[in-house]
Amino acid sequence: MIRDITIGQYYPVDSVIHRLDPRTKLAGTVIFLISLFVTSSPVGYVLATLVLAGVIKLSRVPFKFMTRGLRAILIVLLLSVSFNIFLTPGTTILKIGFLRATKEGLILAGFMGLRLVYLVIGSSLMTLTTTPTQLTDGLEKSLRFLNRVGVPVHDIAMMMSIALRFIPILVEETDKIMKAQTARGADFDSGNLIQRAKAMIPLLVPLFVSAFRRASDLAMAMEARCYHGGEGRTKMHPLRYETRDRIAYLLMFVYLALMIASRFIRFRLF
Amino acid sequence: MNIISAAHVVYDYLIRDENDKVVDKRTALRDVSLEIAQGSFVCLLGHNGSGKSTFAKLINAMNLPGEGTVLVSGMDTKDESHLLDIRMTAGMVFQNPDNQIISNVVEEDVGFGPENIGVPEDEILQRVDEALQKVGMTAYRLKSPNQLSGGQKQRVAIAGIVAMRPKCIVMDEPTAMLDPTGRKDVLSAVHELNKKEGVTVVLITHYMEEAVDADRVVVLEKGEIAKASDGSLMDGTPREIFSKVEDLRRLRLSVPVITELGYELKQAGLPLRDGILTRDELVKELVRIKAQ
Repeated sequence: MIRDITIGQYYPVDSVIHRLDPRTKLAGTVIFLISLFVTSSPVGYVLATLVLAGVIKLSRVPFKFMTRGLRAILIVLLLSVSFNIFLTPGTTILKIGFLRATKEGLILAGFMGLRLVYLVIGSSLMTLTTTPTQLTDGLEKSLRFLNRVGVPVHDIAMMMSIALRFIPILVEETDKIMKAQTARGADFDSGNLIQRAKAMIPLLVPLFVSAFRRASDLAMAMEARCYHGGEGRTKMHPLRYETRDRIAYLLMFVYLALMIASRFIRFRLF
Repeated sequence: MNIISAAHVVYDYLIRDENDKVVDKRTALRDVSLEIAQGSFVCLLGHNGSGKSTFAKLINAMNLPGEGTVLVSGMDTKDESHLLDIRMTAGMVFQNPDNQIISNVVEEDVGFGPENIGVPEDEILQRVDEALQKVGMTAYRLKSPNQLSGGQKQRVAIAGIVAMRPKCIVMDEPTAMLDPTGRKDVLSAVHELNKKEGVTVVLITHYMEEAVDADRVVVLEKGEIAKASDGSLMDGTPREIFSKVEDLRRLRLSVPVITELGYELKQAGLPLRDGILTRDELVKELVRIKAQ
Protein backbone atom coordinates (compact mmCIF):
# COMPACT_ATOMS: atom_id res chain seq x y z
CA MET A 1 0.00 0.00 0.00
CA ILE A 2 1.35 3.38 -1.02
CA ARG A 3 -0.42 5.00 1.91
CA ASP A 4 1.68 3.09 4.39
CA ILE A 5 5.00 4.47 3.23
CA THR A 6 6.93 6.24 5.92
CA ILE A 7 8.67 9.48 5.23
CA GLY A 8 12.28 9.73 6.24
CA GLN A 9 13.86 6.60 7.59
CA TYR A 10 12.61 6.42 11.16
CA TYR A 11 13.32 3.04 12.74
CA PRO A 12 10.63 2.42 15.36
CA VAL A 13 12.11 0.80 18.46
CA ASP A 14 12.15 2.08 22.01
CA SER A 15 15.58 3.10 23.21
CA VAL A 16 17.24 5.75 25.31
CA ILE A 17 18.33 7.53 22.14
CA HIS A 18 14.80 7.46 20.73
CA ARG A 19 13.44 8.96 23.91
CA LEU A 20 15.88 11.88 23.97
CA ASP A 21 14.47 15.30 23.19
CA PRO A 22 14.86 16.03 19.44
CA ARG A 23 16.72 19.22 20.33
CA THR A 24 19.30 17.19 22.24
CA LYS A 25 19.76 14.92 19.26
CA LEU A 26 20.11 17.86 16.88
CA ALA A 27 22.72 19.43 19.13
CA GLY A 28 24.47 16.08 19.51
CA THR A 29 24.67 15.59 15.75
CA VAL A 30 26.05 19.08 15.23
CA ILE A 31 28.63 18.60 17.99
CA PHE A 32 29.67 15.26 16.53
CA LEU A 33 30.09 16.81 13.08
CA ILE A 34 32.14 19.68 14.50
CA SER A 35 34.30 17.31 16.51
CA LEU A 36 35.22 15.40 13.34
CA PHE A 37 36.64 18.56 11.84
CA VAL A 38 38.32 19.73 15.01
CA THR A 39 40.45 16.69 15.52
CA SER A 40 43.28 15.51 13.30
CA SER A 41 45.03 13.00 15.48
CA PRO A 42 44.45 9.24 15.54
CA VAL A 43 43.52 9.49 19.23
CA GLY A 44 40.60 11.73 18.26
CA TYR A 45 39.41 9.24 15.66
CA VAL A 46 39.63 6.38 18.12
CA LEU A 47 37.53 8.40 20.55
CA ALA A 48 34.97 9.31 17.86
CA THR A 49 34.74 5.66 16.81
CA LEU A 50 34.13 4.53 20.38
CA VAL A 51 31.46 7.18 20.96
CA LEU A 52 29.72 6.44 17.67
CA ALA A 53 29.76 2.69 18.34
CA GLY A 54 28.41 3.28 21.84
CA VAL A 55 25.53 5.45 20.64
CA ILE A 56 24.65 2.99 17.86
CA LYS A 57 24.56 0.21 20.45
CA LEU A 58 22.31 2.30 22.72
CA SER A 59 19.95 3.19 19.87
CA ARG A 60 19.17 -0.48 19.17
CA VAL A 61 18.98 0.24 15.45
CA PRO A 62 20.65 -2.54 13.41
CA PHE A 63 23.99 -1.41 12.01
CA LYS A 64 23.05 -2.17 8.39
CA PHE A 65 20.54 0.71 8.47
CA MET A 66 23.36 3.11 9.27
CA THR A 67 25.35 2.20 6.21
CA ARG A 68 22.43 2.69 3.82
CA GLY A 69 23.16 6.39 3.58
CA LEU A 70 26.72 5.60 2.51
CA ARG A 71 25.61 4.32 -0.88
CA ALA A 72 24.48 7.81 -1.83
CA ILE A 73 27.91 9.30 -1.22
CA LEU A 74 29.97 6.41 -2.56
CA ILE A 75 31.19 8.33 -5.62
CA VAL A 76 32.08 11.42 -3.62
CA LEU A 77 33.91 9.21 -1.18
CA LEU A 78 35.93 7.41 -3.87
CA LEU A 79 36.82 10.66 -5.61
CA SER A 80 38.01 12.46 -2.51
CA VAL A 81 39.98 9.46 -1.33
CA SER A 82 41.77 8.99 -4.65
CA PHE A 83 42.49 12.70 -5.02
CA ASN A 84 44.06 12.69 -1.60
CA ILE A 85 46.14 9.61 -2.29
CA PHE A 86 47.55 10.76 -5.59
CA LEU A 87 47.76 14.50 -5.26
CA THR A 88 49.41 14.90 -1.88
CA PRO A 89 53.15 15.59 -2.23
CA GLY A 90 55.52 13.42 -0.18
CA THR A 91 57.34 10.08 -0.20
CA THR A 92 56.30 7.99 -3.19
CA ILE A 93 55.28 4.45 -2.36
CA LEU A 94 53.56 3.45 -5.62
CA LYS A 95 53.76 4.68 -9.18
CA ILE A 96 51.11 3.99 -11.84
CA GLY A 97 51.92 5.89 -15.02
CA PHE A 98 52.04 9.56 -14.14
CA LEU A 99 50.14 9.00 -10.88
CA ARG A 100 52.20 8.81 -7.74
CA ALA A 101 50.71 7.58 -4.51
CA THR A 102 52.42 9.01 -1.45
CA LYS A 103 52.58 7.85 2.13
CA GLU A 104 51.32 11.20 3.39
CA GLY A 105 48.50 11.04 0.86
CA LEU A 106 47.48 7.61 2.03
CA ILE A 107 47.25 8.74 5.66
CA LEU A 108 45.33 11.87 4.72
CA ALA A 109 42.94 9.90 2.50
CA GLY A 110 42.30 7.43 5.28
CA PHE A 111 41.30 10.18 7.69
CA MET A 112 39.31 11.98 5.03
CA GLY A 113 37.34 8.85 4.14
CA LEU A 114 36.73 8.05 7.79
CA ARG A 115 35.51 11.59 8.38
CA LEU A 116 32.99 11.38 5.52
CA VAL A 117 31.73 7.96 6.57
CA TYR A 118 31.27 9.12 10.18
CA LEU A 119 29.48 12.26 9.00
CA VAL A 120 26.90 10.18 7.16
CA ILE A 121 26.51 7.60 9.91
CA GLY A 122 26.19 10.30 12.55
CA SER A 123 23.41 12.11 10.76
CA SER A 124 21.60 8.88 9.79
CA LEU A 125 21.61 8.00 13.45
CA MET A 126 19.56 11.11 14.16
CA THR A 127 16.99 10.56 11.40
CA LEU A 128 16.70 6.88 12.29
CA THR A 129 15.80 7.63 15.89
CA THR A 130 13.61 10.74 15.46
CA THR A 131 10.22 10.95 13.72
CA PRO A 132 9.85 13.73 11.16
CA THR A 133 7.26 15.40 13.40
CA GLN A 134 9.64 15.46 16.35
CA LEU A 135 12.38 16.73 14.11
CA THR A 136 10.22 19.62 12.90
CA ASP A 137 9.19 20.42 16.47
CA GLY A 138 12.81 20.33 17.58
CA LEU A 139 13.92 22.57 14.74
CA GLU A 140 11.11 25.01 15.41
CA LYS A 141 12.05 25.34 19.03
CA SER A 142 15.81 25.46 18.66
CA LEU A 143 15.69 27.95 15.80
CA ARG A 144 13.18 30.21 17.51
CA PHE A 145 15.83 32.89 18.06
CA LEU A 146 15.77 33.51 14.29
CA ASN A 147 12.33 35.06 14.80
CA ARG A 148 14.07 38.18 15.99
CA VAL A 149 15.77 38.68 12.64
CA GLY A 150 12.45 38.23 10.86
CA VAL A 151 12.53 34.54 9.91
CA PRO A 152 9.00 33.10 10.32
CA VAL A 153 10.18 29.97 12.13
CA HIS A 154 6.74 28.77 13.22
CA ASP A 155 5.29 29.15 9.74
CA ILE A 156 8.15 27.27 8.13
CA ALA A 157 7.81 24.43 10.65
CA MET A 158 4.05 24.30 10.06
CA MET A 159 4.64 24.14 6.31
CA MET A 160 7.12 21.31 6.78
CA SER A 161 4.76 19.24 8.87
CA ILE A 162 1.87 19.79 6.46
CA ALA A 163 4.12 18.78 3.57
CA LEU A 164 4.97 15.58 5.43
CA ARG A 165 1.28 14.86 5.95
CA PHE A 166 0.43 15.38 2.29
CA ILE A 167 3.31 13.52 0.62
CA PRO A 168 1.62 10.10 0.85
CA ILE A 169 -1.69 11.58 -0.30
CA LEU A 170 -0.10 13.20 -3.33
CA VAL A 171 1.88 10.06 -4.13
CA GLU A 172 -1.36 8.11 -4.16
CA GLU A 173 -2.97 10.76 -6.32
CA THR A 174 -0.07 10.66 -8.79
CA ASP A 175 -0.60 6.94 -9.06
CA LYS A 176 -4.32 7.43 -9.70
CA ILE A 177 -3.79 10.11 -12.36
CA MET A 178 -1.12 7.98 -14.02
CA LYS A 179 -3.56 5.07 -14.29
CA ALA A 180 -6.32 7.34 -15.55
CA GLN A 181 -4.06 8.82 -18.23
CA THR A 182 -2.74 5.40 -19.21
CA ALA A 183 -6.35 4.30 -19.66
CA ARG A 184 -6.75 7.24 -22.05
CA GLY A 185 -3.73 6.12 -24.07
CA ALA A 186 -0.91 8.07 -22.42
CA ASP A 187 2.49 6.38 -22.58
CA PHE A 188 4.88 7.04 -19.71
CA ASP A 189 7.41 4.26 -20.26
CA SER A 190 8.81 4.51 -23.77
CA GLY A 191 10.73 6.94 -25.93
CA ASN A 192 13.85 8.94 -25.23
CA LEU A 193 14.42 11.32 -22.36
CA ILE A 194 12.71 14.30 -24.01
CA GLN A 195 9.67 12.29 -25.05
CA ARG A 196 9.36 10.93 -21.54
CA ALA A 197 9.63 14.39 -20.05
CA LYS A 198 6.88 15.54 -22.40
CA ALA A 199 4.74 12.58 -21.37
CA MET A 200 4.84 13.89 -17.81
CA ILE A 201 2.82 16.98 -18.73
CA PRO A 202 -0.60 15.28 -18.65
CA LEU A 203 0.42 13.90 -15.27
CA LEU A 204 1.78 17.07 -13.71
CA VAL A 205 -0.96 19.47 -14.77
CA PRO A 206 -3.83 17.64 -13.02
CA LEU A 207 -1.56 16.92 -10.06
CA PHE A 208 -0.79 20.62 -9.59
CA VAL A 209 -4.41 21.64 -10.01
CA SER A 210 -5.46 19.13 -7.41
CA ALA A 211 -2.65 20.11 -5.04
CA PHE A 212 -3.73 23.75 -5.18
CA ARG A 213 -7.34 22.80 -4.56
CA ARG A 214 -6.30 20.74 -1.56
CA ALA A 215 -4.19 23.60 -0.28
CA SER A 216 -7.09 26.01 -0.47
CA ASP A 217 -9.43 23.52 1.26
CA LEU A 218 -6.87 22.93 3.98
CA ALA A 219 -6.33 26.63 4.53
CA MET A 220 -10.06 27.07 5.00
CA ALA A 221 -10.29 24.12 7.40
CA MET A 222 -7.36 25.49 9.41
CA GLU A 223 -8.95 28.92 9.62
CA ALA A 224 -12.23 27.35 10.69
CA ARG A 225 -10.29 25.77 13.55
CA CYS A 226 -9.06 29.17 14.70
CA TYR A 227 -5.55 28.90 13.28
CA HIS A 228 -3.99 32.35 13.27
CA GLY A 229 -0.25 31.76 13.18
CA GLY A 230 2.06 30.90 16.03
CA GLU A 231 0.95 33.72 18.28
CA GLY A 232 -0.83 32.66 21.48
CA ARG A 233 -0.57 29.01 20.51
CA THR A 234 -0.07 26.29 23.11
CA LYS A 235 1.25 22.80 22.49
CA MET A 236 -0.33 19.51 23.39
CA HIS A 237 3.05 17.82 23.78
CA PRO A 238 5.52 20.61 24.47
CA LEU A 239 9.18 19.67 24.27
CA ARG A 240 10.70 19.48 27.72
CA TYR A 241 14.22 18.55 28.76
CA GLU A 242 14.41 15.54 31.09
CA THR A 243 17.29 14.35 33.25
CA ARG A 244 18.49 12.11 30.44
CA ASP A 245 18.80 15.15 28.17
CA ARG A 246 20.91 16.99 30.74
CA ILE A 247 23.18 13.98 31.08
CA ALA A 248 23.43 13.74 27.30
CA TYR A 249 24.41 17.42 27.03
CA LEU A 250 27.05 16.95 29.71
CA LEU A 251 28.52 13.94 27.92
CA MET A 252 28.46 15.80 24.63
CA PHE A 253 30.49 18.69 26.01
CA VAL A 254 32.97 16.37 27.71
CA TYR A 255 33.38 14.59 24.39
CA LEU A 256 33.89 17.83 22.48
CA ALA A 257 36.46 19.02 25.03
CA LEU A 258 38.37 15.76 24.69
CA MET A 259 38.29 16.02 20.91
CA ILE A 260 39.68 19.54 21.06
CA ALA A 261 42.33 18.39 23.50
CA SER A 262 43.31 15.55 21.17
CA ARG A 263 44.52 18.19 18.68
CA PHE A 264 47.36 19.02 21.02
CA ILE A 265 48.46 15.50 21.77
CA ARG A 266 51.56 14.74 19.77
CA PHE A 267 51.27 11.27 18.39
CA ARG A 268 53.59 9.84 15.83
CA LEU A 269 52.11 7.02 13.81
CA PHE A 270 55.24 6.12 11.92
CA MET B 1 -32.78 31.16 22.36
CA ASN B 2 -31.44 31.38 18.81
CA ILE B 3 -27.81 30.54 18.33
CA ILE B 4 -27.78 31.71 14.75
CA SER B 5 -29.90 34.45 13.33
CA ALA B 6 -29.46 35.60 9.79
CA ALA B 7 -31.47 38.66 8.73
CA HIS B 8 -31.96 39.60 5.07
CA VAL B 9 -28.59 38.23 4.04
CA VAL B 10 -27.28 38.89 0.56
CA TYR B 11 -24.04 37.41 -0.74
CA ASP B 12 -22.44 37.96 -4.15
CA TYR B 13 -19.43 36.23 -5.63
CA LEU B 14 -17.50 38.86 -7.54
CA ILE B 15 -15.72 37.85 -10.70
CA ARG B 16 -12.61 39.92 -11.36
CA ASP B 17 -10.39 40.31 -14.40
CA GLU B 18 -6.58 40.37 -14.30
CA ASN B 19 -6.53 43.97 -13.09
CA ASP B 20 -8.68 43.08 -10.12
CA LYS B 21 -11.59 44.99 -11.62
CA VAL B 22 -14.98 43.51 -10.91
CA VAL B 23 -16.39 42.42 -14.26
CA ASP B 24 -19.34 40.38 -13.13
CA LYS B 25 -21.10 39.15 -10.06
CA ARG B 26 -23.04 36.03 -9.27
CA THR B 27 -25.57 36.30 -6.54
CA ALA B 28 -25.35 33.24 -4.32
CA LEU B 29 -27.80 34.37 -1.65
CA ARG B 30 -30.60 36.91 -2.02
CA ASP B 31 -32.43 37.98 1.06
CA VAL B 32 -32.25 34.93 3.28
CA SER B 33 -33.56 35.21 6.83
CA LEU B 34 -33.17 32.20 9.04
CA GLU B 35 -33.19 31.65 12.79
CA ILE B 36 -31.70 28.50 14.24
CA ALA B 37 -32.58 27.55 17.79
CA GLN B 38 -29.93 26.41 20.27
CA GLY B 39 -29.81 22.63 20.48
CA SER B 40 -31.74 21.92 17.31
CA PHE B 41 -30.77 19.69 14.40
CA VAL B 42 -31.36 21.56 11.17
CA CYS B 43 -30.90 20.14 7.71
CA LEU B 44 -30.27 22.41 4.73
CA LEU B 45 -31.28 20.89 1.43
CA GLY B 46 -30.97 22.26 -2.03
CA HIS B 47 -29.77 21.65 -5.51
CA ASN B 48 -26.21 22.47 -6.60
CA GLY B 49 -25.79 26.23 -6.67
CA SER B 50 -28.75 26.83 -4.35
CA GLY B 51 -26.48 28.71 -1.95
CA LYS B 52 -26.36 26.22 0.89
CA SER B 53 -22.57 26.04 1.15
CA THR B 54 -22.35 29.82 0.93
CA PHE B 55 -24.77 30.07 3.81
CA ALA B 56 -22.75 27.59 5.86
CA LYS B 57 -19.62 29.70 5.43
CA LEU B 58 -21.50 32.79 6.58
CA ILE B 59 -22.19 31.16 9.94
CA ASN B 60 -18.49 30.56 10.49
CA ALA B 61 -17.43 34.05 9.33
CA MET B 62 -15.59 32.50 6.38
CA ASN B 63 -17.84 34.62 4.19
CA LEU B 64 -19.16 37.97 5.31
CA PRO B 65 -22.61 39.02 4.13
CA GLY B 66 -22.77 41.77 1.51
CA GLU B 67 -26.03 43.02 2.98
CA GLY B 68 -27.89 42.03 6.11
CA THR B 69 -26.38 40.59 9.26
CA VAL B 70 -25.51 37.20 10.65
CA LEU B 71 -25.45 36.88 14.43
CA VAL B 72 -23.82 33.88 16.09
CA SER B 73 -24.68 33.71 19.79
CA GLY B 74 -25.41 37.42 19.53
CA MET B 75 -22.03 38.26 17.95
CA ASP B 76 -22.03 39.98 14.58
CA THR B 77 -19.81 38.07 12.12
CA LYS B 78 -18.71 41.38 10.61
CA ASP B 79 -17.10 42.40 13.89
CA GLU B 80 -13.52 41.24 13.53
CA SER B 81 -12.78 41.35 17.24
CA HIS B 82 -15.19 38.41 17.69
CA LEU B 83 -13.72 36.33 14.88
CA LEU B 84 -12.08 33.66 17.03
CA ASP B 85 -15.04 33.56 19.42
CA ILE B 86 -17.40 33.00 16.54
CA ARG B 87 -15.27 30.21 15.13
CA MET B 88 -15.06 28.62 18.57
CA THR B 89 -18.84 28.83 18.92
CA ALA B 90 -19.65 27.54 15.47
CA GLY B 91 -17.22 24.89 14.25
CA MET B 92 -17.22 23.71 10.69
CA VAL B 93 -16.69 20.28 9.11
CA PHE B 94 -16.01 20.07 5.38
CA GLN B 95 -16.62 17.53 2.67
CA ASN B 96 -13.20 16.03 2.03
CA PRO B 97 -11.76 14.47 5.20
CA ASP B 98 -8.23 14.32 3.75
CA ASN B 99 -8.13 18.05 3.19
CA GLN B 100 -9.00 19.05 6.73
CA ILE B 101 -6.71 16.83 8.77
CA ILE B 102 -3.41 18.59 9.31
CA SER B 103 -1.39 16.23 11.44
CA ASN B 104 0.19 12.83 10.93
CA VAL B 105 -1.15 11.53 14.24
CA VAL B 106 -4.86 11.40 15.10
CA GLU B 107 -4.52 12.84 18.61
CA GLU B 108 -2.36 15.72 17.44
CA ASP B 109 -4.91 16.62 14.82
CA VAL B 110 -7.72 16.65 17.38
CA GLY B 111 -5.55 18.86 19.59
CA PHE B 112 -4.90 21.37 16.79
CA GLY B 113 -7.97 23.53 17.48
CA PRO B 114 -7.42 23.78 21.25
CA GLU B 115 -3.72 24.55 20.59
CA ASN B 116 -4.74 27.42 18.34
CA ILE B 117 -6.94 29.02 20.96
CA GLY B 118 -4.26 28.69 23.62
CA VAL B 119 -5.80 26.05 25.88
CA PRO B 120 -3.31 24.93 28.58
CA GLU B 121 -1.49 21.66 28.01
CA ASP B 122 -3.32 19.45 30.56
CA GLU B 123 -6.70 20.63 29.41
CA ILE B 124 -5.84 19.91 25.77
CA LEU B 125 -5.15 16.27 26.66
CA GLN B 126 -8.40 16.07 28.55
CA ARG B 127 -10.37 17.63 25.69
CA VAL B 128 -8.74 15.31 23.15
CA ASP B 129 -9.69 12.29 25.28
CA GLU B 130 -13.26 13.49 25.53
CA ALA B 131 -13.62 14.41 21.87
CA LEU B 132 -12.22 11.11 20.61
CA GLN B 133 -14.49 9.21 22.95
CA LYS B 134 -17.58 11.12 21.82
CA VAL B 135 -17.03 10.14 18.20
CA GLY B 136 -15.89 6.60 19.10
CA MET B 137 -12.34 6.95 17.82
CA THR B 138 -10.37 6.47 21.05
CA ALA B 139 -8.83 3.23 19.79
CA TYR B 140 -7.20 5.05 16.87
CA ARG B 141 -5.61 7.77 18.95
CA LEU B 142 -2.01 7.14 17.93
CA LYS B 143 -2.69 6.01 14.37
CA SER B 144 -1.82 7.96 11.26
CA PRO B 145 -4.88 9.39 9.45
CA ASN B 146 -3.53 7.72 6.31
CA GLN B 147 -4.38 4.34 7.80
CA LEU B 148 -8.04 5.20 8.46
CA SER B 149 -11.12 4.79 6.28
CA GLY B 150 -13.04 7.80 4.99
CA GLY B 151 -15.72 7.53 7.69
CA GLN B 152 -13.11 7.25 10.42
CA LYS B 153 -11.22 10.26 9.08
CA GLN B 154 -14.41 12.28 8.98
CA ARG B 155 -15.08 11.33 12.62
CA VAL B 156 -11.57 12.48 13.49
CA ALA B 157 -12.34 15.77 11.76
CA ILE B 158 -15.52 16.07 13.84
CA ALA B 159 -13.54 15.29 17.00
CA GLY B 160 -11.18 18.11 16.03
CA ILE B 161 -14.12 20.49 16.13
CA VAL B 162 -15.68 18.94 19.25
CA ALA B 163 -12.39 19.48 21.11
CA MET B 164 -12.98 23.23 20.79
CA ARG B 165 -16.27 22.73 22.64
CA PRO B 166 -18.49 24.58 20.17
CA LYS B 167 -22.17 25.25 20.76
CA CYS B 168 -22.88 24.63 17.12
CA ILE B 169 -21.37 22.47 14.37
CA VAL B 170 -21.94 23.31 10.73
CA MET B 171 -21.34 20.44 8.35
CA ASP B 172 -20.99 20.99 4.64
CA GLU B 173 -21.84 17.65 3.01
CA PRO B 174 -19.72 15.66 5.46
CA THR B 175 -20.83 12.32 4.03
CA ALA B 176 -20.62 13.05 0.30
CA MET B 177 -17.33 11.19 -0.14
CA LEU B 178 -18.06 8.27 2.18
CA ASP B 179 -19.33 4.74 1.68
CA PRO B 180 -22.67 3.73 3.28
CA THR B 181 -21.08 2.34 6.46
CA GLY B 182 -18.91 5.40 6.95
CA ARG B 183 -21.96 7.59 6.38
CA LYS B 184 -23.94 5.78 9.04
CA ASP B 185 -21.12 6.00 11.59
CA VAL B 186 -20.62 9.71 10.99
CA LEU B 187 -24.32 10.48 11.24
CA SER B 188 -24.84 8.49 14.41
CA ALA B 189 -21.88 10.30 15.98
CA VAL B 190 -23.45 13.62 15.00
CA HIS B 191 -26.88 12.68 16.36
CA GLU B 192 -25.26 11.55 19.58
CA LEU B 193 -23.57 14.95 19.95
CA ASN B 194 -26.84 16.69 19.31
CA LYS B 195 -28.89 14.63 21.79
CA LYS B 196 -26.40 14.08 24.59
CA GLU B 197 -24.37 17.28 24.48
CA GLY B 198 -27.04 19.60 23.16
CA VAL B 199 -24.80 20.77 20.34
CA THR B 200 -26.70 22.57 17.61
CA VAL B 201 -26.16 20.87 14.26
CA VAL B 202 -26.56 22.45 10.85
CA LEU B 203 -26.23 19.66 8.31
CA ILE B 204 -25.97 20.34 4.62
CA THR B 205 -26.59 17.26 2.55
CA HIS B 206 -27.69 15.76 -0.73
CA TYR B 207 -29.01 12.61 0.89
CA MET B 208 -32.68 12.93 1.78
CA GLU B 209 -32.46 9.94 4.13
CA GLU B 210 -30.15 11.98 6.34
CA ALA B 211 -32.74 14.72 6.67
CA VAL B 212 -35.44 12.38 7.99
CA ASP B 213 -34.09 12.43 11.55
CA ALA B 214 -33.58 16.19 11.71
CA ASP B 215 -35.76 18.49 13.82
CA ARG B 216 -36.17 20.86 10.95
CA VAL B 217 -35.57 20.91 7.23
CA VAL B 218 -34.99 24.04 5.17
CA VAL B 219 -34.90 23.90 1.38
CA LEU B 220 -32.90 26.50 -0.50
CA GLU B 221 -33.35 27.33 -4.16
CA LYS B 222 -31.43 29.91 -6.16
CA GLY B 223 -30.22 31.73 -3.09
CA GLU B 224 -33.56 31.90 -1.32
CA ILE B 225 -35.64 29.71 0.93
CA ALA B 226 -37.76 27.81 -1.60
CA LYS B 227 -41.48 28.42 -1.82
CA ALA B 228 -44.06 25.66 -2.11
CA SER B 229 -46.83 25.85 -4.70
CA ASP B 230 -49.24 27.06 -1.99
CA GLY B 231 -46.91 30.01 -1.35
CA SER B 232 -45.58 28.82 2.02
CA LEU B 233 -41.83 28.62 2.70
CA MET B 234 -40.20 25.20 2.48
CA ASP B 235 -39.10 25.32 6.10
CA GLY B 236 -40.53 22.90 8.63
CA THR B 237 -40.34 19.46 10.16
CA PRO B 238 -39.19 16.63 7.87
CA ARG B 239 -42.77 15.37 7.79
CA GLU B 240 -44.12 18.70 6.59
CA ILE B 241 -41.44 19.13 3.96
CA PHE B 242 -41.47 15.60 2.60
CA SER B 243 -45.27 15.70 2.29
CA LYS B 244 -44.73 18.17 -0.50
CA VAL B 245 -43.47 15.58 -2.94
CA GLU B 246 -44.50 17.56 -6.03
CA ASP B 247 -42.77 20.73 -4.85
CA LEU B 248 -39.58 18.81 -4.13
CA ARG B 249 -39.70 17.25 -7.59
CA ARG B 250 -40.15 20.66 -9.13
CA LEU B 251 -37.02 21.75 -7.25
CA ARG B 252 -35.23 18.71 -8.68
CA LEU B 253 -34.81 17.14 -5.26
CA SER B 254 -35.73 13.59 -4.44
CA VAL B 255 -37.63 12.43 -1.40
CA PRO B 256 -36.66 9.53 0.86
CA VAL B 257 -37.42 6.21 -0.83
CA ILE B 258 -40.10 5.21 1.69
CA THR B 259 -41.83 8.59 1.38
CA GLU B 260 -41.80 8.19 -2.37
CA LEU B 261 -43.27 4.71 -2.15
CA GLY B 262 -46.03 6.00 0.15
CA TYR B 263 -46.72 8.83 -2.25
CA GLU B 264 -46.94 6.54 -5.26
CA LEU B 265 -49.25 4.16 -3.40
CA LYS B 266 -51.48 7.07 -2.51
CA GLN B 267 -51.53 8.22 -6.13
CA ALA B 268 -52.55 4.69 -7.04
CA GLY B 269 -55.59 5.02 -4.81
CA LEU B 270 -54.61 3.77 -1.35
CA PRO B 271 -55.86 6.11 1.41
CA LEU B 272 -52.42 6.61 3.03
CA ARG B 273 -51.57 9.72 4.97
CA ASP B 274 -48.96 12.18 3.68
CA GLY B 275 -45.32 12.44 4.70
CA ILE B 276 -44.49 8.89 5.71
CA LEU B 277 -40.81 8.90 6.63
CA THR B 278 -39.84 5.45 7.87
CA ARG B 279 -40.46 1.87 7.00
CA ASP B 280 -42.24 1.26 10.31
CA GLU B 281 -44.67 4.07 9.66
CA LEU B 282 -45.46 2.75 6.20
CA VAL B 283 -46.02 -0.76 7.55
CA LYS B 284 -48.35 0.59 10.26
CA GLU B 285 -50.35 2.59 7.74
CA LEU B 286 -50.71 -0.41 5.43
CA VAL B 287 -51.83 -2.60 8.35
CA ARG B 288 -54.37 0.08 9.38
CA ILE B 289 -55.78 0.26 5.85
CA LYS B 290 -55.97 -3.50 5.56
CA ALA B 291 -57.89 -3.69 8.85
CA GLN B 292 -60.55 -1.28 7.62
